Amino acid sequence: MAGATIDHLIALTIFLAALLLFISFFNQMNQTAILYQYHSYIAAECSDVLDSIMLNPGAPSDWGVSGGSIQNLTFFGLQDPEFQEYRISPFSVMRLASTTNQVYNDQTGQWYNDLAWGVNGAYLLLQTTDSIRYHNVTSLLGINGTYDFQLSITPTLTVNITQIPGADIKLEIQVYGSGFPLSNANLDYLMFWANSSSNGGFPILNSNFTSDILQTDSSGIAFKEFPSLSNDTAFTFIAKVNAVGLRGTGYLSQETVTNTGNIIPYIQSFDNGTAYIVLAQQYGHDDPLPSMGDLYYNASFYALPDTFVPILGGNFAGDLNYGNGNGTKNLQVATNNQTGFMVIAYGDGTHYGTVVVPLGVNSLGLPVTFGSNLSGKEWVATDLRQVIIGDIAYQAKLSLWSLTGYQVTS
Amino acid sequence: MMRTVEIFIVILIMTGAFLTASFYAVLPSPRQVSPLNLSRLALTTLETLDAENDLSSVAFETTNDTAWNGLQVALSASLPTNVIYNLTAYDISSGEVQNLYTLSRSISNAQSLGMDSDAASYIVASSNVTFTVTPQKIGVTFYILNCSDSSGWWITGYTIQSIAQQLAEIFASYFEPSSIVMVQNTTQLGQLMNDRPLGNETIQNAIIINTCGEPVPIPQSYATLYSSDYAQYCYQLGNCSELYNWTWVSIVGYPFYYVTNTQVFNGVQNGWGIYGINEIGPAGLNAFLEGIDGQPYSNNGNWITDSPGVVTLTSTALNNCSYYGIFPSPTQTSTRAIPESVTAQYNLSIATDVLNPTGGSIPGAVLNHIFKAPPPDTNVTGSLFALGLTRVPDTRLAAIGILSYYNPTLYKSEYTAAGTSKLVVLQLGLEGG
Repeated sequence: MAGATIDHLIALTIFLAALLLFISFFNQMNQTAILYQYHSYIAAECSDVLDSIMLNPGAPSDWGVSGGSIQNLTFFGLQDPEFQEYRISPFSVMRLASTTNQVYNDQTGQWYNDLAWGVNGAYLLLQTTDSIRYHNVTSLLGINGTYDFQLSITPTLTVNITQIPGADIKLEIQVYGSGFPLSNANLDYLMFWANSSSNGGFPILNSNFTSDILQTDSSGIAFKEFPSLSNDTAFTFIAKVNAVGLRGTGYLSQETVTNTGNIIPYIQSFDNGTAYIVLAQQYGHDDPLPSMGDLYYNASFYALPDTFVPILGGNFAGDLNYGNGNGTKNLQVATNNQTGFMVIAYGDGTHYGTVVVPLGVNSLGLPVTFGSNLSGKEWVATDLRQVIIGDIAYQAKLSLWSLTGYQVTS
Repeated sequence: MMRTVEIFIVILIMTGAFLTASFYAVLPSPRQVSPLNLSRLALTTLETLDAENDLSSVAFETTNDTAWNGLQVALSASLPTNVIYNLTAYDISSGEVQNLYTLSRSISNAQSLGMDSDAASYIVASSNVTFTVTPQKIGVTFYILNCSDSSGWWITGYTIQSIAQQLAEIFASYFEPSSIVMVQNTTQLGQLMNDRPLGNETIQNAIIINTCGEPVPIPQSYATLYSSDYAQYCYQLGNCSELYNWTWVSIVGYPFYYVTNTQVFNGVQNGWGIYGINEIGPAGLNAFLEGIDGQPYSNNGNWITDSPGVVTLTSTALNNCSYYGIFPSPTQTSTRAIPESVTAQYNLSIATDVLNPTGGSIPGAVLNHIFKAPPPDTNVTGSLFALGLTRVPDTRLAAIGILSYYNPTLYKSEYTAAGTSKLVVLQLGLEGG
């Protein structure tokens, strides 16, 4: 009788243990399946949000070229309103405010959204009040509090330009895309350089648009030499790559700090065909010293159509002197809603430098990253689209994750 | 002991159940759970490559290895490194063929794209393709009265010759070249009225368009013959229209209100200072209608037209404007609209309305003469297309009216025709299946 009881007890114990074990197994399997379903939902949401951004110009659709429309946005989108499909407005993209990269200028007393701060001599600093904030975008997209995202819009082709040491200006242009060198690609270029003039310290801004076509070799590299320009000449070089169906652009501007400082251009606003740009005298990236003397500048705005033949839109010359209370200069530039760039040559009369500021990210092929920081997020869905800005090929990558854990049901 | 053995048997059964359930409940791989939308990526890649028509150019250069190598480099450069691809161009066949799409050329960076590949297709057109529209020819003679010995009235701002030139240009593609005949003087018009063609054209069933406006050119012989009553000449024109089944087109104003011949009436003016024109008055139109219906002539000077004011194009005419690519203003001003009562009085029936009838008047329509009296007839014997509009004339309205009446088909070349388009399919997969 005792043996039977023991037998029952052992059997019951083993049975209960096995039952719990199997319930655990089944539960885990079900849990994984449910999680996968949620992840799949996030991926679908990621694709939908990306298409929603890329295939809508927003409302009102002119908010990219009209800064005053930002406050009236009822829907968010980046599509170029003049086109269809995956063509992105070069101006709307400029208005995406970074949540982390913002700079403050003491002289103007304004905050600026930092899309490029001296990257190869280019500045793209737009006043934050003329930009759209990430929080507003998520609200307009209807995902505020449900999902966070990061949108990266990067040129498909990377065009790296480096100056090779030597007596004259010799440039190496390297072109690649997705880690793959782009061989036999045609290159056009624009060259601007600064000379001293007999008229005080004002620099002369020279240019050469009659580009002979270069071609990259099997390593995706081409060289261009300017024998008539010594290696210390301040210059801005912009190259455009043309492969089968792919176009990209790159640049190099020789920014230097002279004895009277340098110039950093800030875009106050651009609205309905007019851009307001502030040229600020600085010392490197710091405020200038009051004891610094005159800094002379000569700036030209060029509209840059798809033909890559620049059209002069305006020329400005003057001088800055922070110590005399004249550390900034406001420029009103008629852009006529065309993309382009402003080349600014500056100097103290002896030493010269150049910087460039694009109007429309495609002019210089600048990348834009917008949104929340994705590091440390547990499950991030990503999706990718090929897009066109101007005629430059870009890739728009959206990373999206849930803010409500995995339990996203709506 | 037996119970323990039984429990182990139960555990075996549950293990079997778990394994069986696990076997069928296959969870997808993480890549499948959160996939890259390869279909969209493929489509946007094709659109990007064709943004400046580069893809279209390469697709048609199937023997150009350099171009296809360039395309492969561009594809590799534009796609993420873990994405493998196959791009294939297909010829599009037309007609009754077994295979609508025939492989033209293909490039790939992998032998197989695995199980989870996705694709997008894109139609590209050859840059050498010219989109053409070939109208069906209207198989009758088109006479344009371009009489150098005539004067015009209510064609302000134009000359007879400029209107004739416009009409010739508009209708050039709708008629055989030999079927568009300029009637250069009133003598040639008299020749036609006597059934003598000017060349090899056919007089029967012809269209005669009067570019003079309200006056109608009169040959010298007829002017002499009917010098006591020029309305009889209009009656004769009506007779000819019935006899030869002409479609007489009046482009503006009161039809047959004057006769014109600068030789005969060199000292006569129309009352408004235009010489070479002699006024008949309303009797001209009445006489023409009597003539076309074979009624006995009587000089009837009663004014019959109405003035409905603003009139609109009919829906059929508007559709034909789009179809033929001729776009006159959809609203016009009518002050000389023929009354609907003439249809019963002269056995006329409306064949094509160009302008919407309003208030019992017909501002613009092709009226066919079909004899209804016993024995009833179904054959058309003459037509009148009168645009009872105020000056100045719009030749596009006359063109829409004639085209609406004859309704020639436009044969358009299509991009899907053989040799003009290719189908490009980009299939993408991820490395590792």
